[in-house]
Amino acid sequence: MKHNITIALIGIMLSATGLLAQQKLTGLEVMEKVYNRPKGNDMEATLTMILINSNGDRRVRKIKQFIRDFGKVEKKIMFFIEPADVKNTSFMNWSYDDANKDDDQWIYLPALKKVKRISSDSKGDYFMGSDFTYDDLGNRKPQEDNHKILREEKYMGEDCYVIESTPKDPDYMYSKTITWVVKGKWIGLKREFYDEDGEYLKTLKVKKYTNINGIWVLTEVEMDNAQTNHKTIMKLTDIKINSGIPARMFTERMMKRGL
Amino acid sequence: MKKILTVILLLHSTVMAQNIDIDGFARNYIGVLINDSLDYSIIQNTFNLNIYRTGDKAGFKVNPYIYQYDGKNLEIGLREAYLDIYFPSIDLRIGKQQIIWGKADGVFITDIVSPKDLTEFILRDFSEIRMGITAVKGDYYIGNNTLELVWVPVFTPTKLPPKNSIWYPKRPDFPAPVNFDYSKAQVRHDLKNSEFFGKVSALTGPIDFEIMGAYTWEDEPTMHLIKHFNLSDPQHPLLDSITILPEYHRLKVGGLSFSSSIGPIVLRGEGAFYKGKYFNTTEPNITESVIKKDYIHYLLGVDCSIKGWNISSQFIQKYILDYDDYLQDDQFSNMATLLIARNFMHETLHFSLFTYYDITTKSSLIRPKLSYDVSDGFNVLVGLNIFTGDTGIFGQYGNNDMIYTQVKYNF
Repeated sequence: MKHNITIALIGIMLSATGLLAQQKLTGLEVMEKVYNRPKGNDMEATLTMILINSNGDRRVRKIKQFIRDFGKVEKKIMFFIEPADVKNTSFMNWSYDDANKDDDQWIYLPALKKVKRISSDSKGDYFMGSDFTYDDLGNRKPQEDNHKILREEKYMGEDCYVIESTPKDPDYMYSKTITWVVKGKWIGLKREFYDEDGEYLKTLKVKKYTNINGIWVLTEVEMDNAQTNHKTIMKLTDIKINSGIPARMFTERMMKRGL
Repeated sequence: MKKILTVILLLHSTVMAQNIDIDGFARNYIGVLINDSLDYSIIQNTFNLNIYRTGDKAGFKVNPYIYQYDGKNLEIGLREAYLDIYFPSIDLRIGKQQIIWGKADGVFITDIVSPKDLTEFILRDFSEIRMGITAVKGDYYIGNNTLELVWVPVFTPTKLPPKNSIWYPKRPDFPAPVNFDYSKAQVRHDLKNSEFFGKVSALTGPIDFEIMGAYTWEDEPTMHLIKHFNLSDPQHPLLDSITILPEYHRLKVGGLSFSSSIGPIVLRGEGAFYKGKYFNTTEPNITESVIKKDYIHYLLGVDCSIKGWNISSQFIQKYILDYDDYLQDDQFSNMATLLIARNFMHETLHFSLFTYYDITTKSSLIRPKLSYDVSDGFNVLVGLNIFTGDTGIFGQYGNNDMIYTQVKYNF
């Protein structure tokens, strides 16, 4: 019992320390909280992307994705459902906690009927023709940028930190980004991107988010590129968190077999 | 035509009721030779259908196709038609299937299970070059490690272009009239003529690899030459005629392949040892002008992505062991490939350039393509096939440079 009380007190002290620290958070600490926000041990969902060009023409991409955290490595597998010409293509990514270790990626193309390892040095590439780069989709580590709190303000009724992030690599595709982060929930509600020349490029806005089993999940986001007048709406549906996705889902066998 | 439409509609309503997937494509393909004749190299309409289901314990797939040439000649077939049975750690696939091995792109070293359809040389899409074969395939999985065993009960050779085709390979000049004897050009369909293939593979973070072995048949026949002499003057026999006797021989193959990421680069390799391949000779005293030799065929390749451009290059070498100077083939034959590809306009405009360069004969095949997605699933493509050099595998088609279009609808 004494032992339990001691633990409880330590817990209270840690909480108090946390509260004090929260008041003096640095830009890096805020962005680390966003990056490390609890995401559950695993998640499956259907991802629908609607690509809208300057003429208003719409193209739809639909993907079923499974993600599981294995400790030092996070594994993700995606099965392409639409459009018809990429149906049954699958993609697997292993992302490592070790910042010095590149992701391992494979693609299965049904026409070639084999799993092919691909170069992972494509984080600046756009994902399936959308307005999102792979980095925009959350793979960029906070340590890769310098962060500064510009101000605190309300956005969409939420108290937010406004953080300016500039890349340590001067050749990175963005010269800076500005993110509105909700205090406590650690969600980036809005992010503005500026291109290599410092010109305003595009804005990411979170349209809908929800709490599933205590975990905040963005269910609808929109990226609007001001330079190309092209827009992508991304929706997550059929979301399951901590459903116990088996390790065998993240294998060559499943890439070939499909859903 | 009405009957075909009725069958498709009935099929569609049936498969919808059983939750079976159905997809495929319709395509028009027109090619024109870039020479004075401006002849059409191909006018082809294609309909390709995939009907399949993947259940928890079993599945199936049927892939019928129709090629219509010049608006009249129909070629109808089944590229695949198989059943799948799934156990916790084992998958069985029984029936007609395409089986693809190895890490090479556009080069066949350990990828020798499915024979090739070369009626249009190597210009068809890879999904259409590989022929389905009737086989029993078993895969045993331990995590990302796989043991695969394949039994092919009936040998299927590579399909070569017919004699009236622009892709019919050039034959060497013979010093006498030639006739063909096809009496040995068949492999009898019986159990002892089966083919067997085995492969152990692993997919890991640092490296993926495959180790394979095969007890198979040559995909293309060896041309045995029987010379007939006029012995009216025994002191000076005259070569009267030559009989070419195509015959398939057994072949034993062992090989391996790998791919690994080194920073932003993917390094690939593939190699195989072929035991007991027959080669043609120029030595008149060798029986039927063929001799058995072993050879090694290997490849090293590099893939990378630079500012949105995907670049891939391969070096390929074939090396005949215990070489004799009278062999028609060179001891070393070297080839290289280069692929440059990029997507533009939110992945609606696609450019690619794939080149084979035969270093030994200084001949090449250069294949630039530009395609545009008019809408989801609807694609228009314009491409060129340029052959350079005078001899060798590519130079022999120096008159077959072509420009072509493909209009394709995926559903």
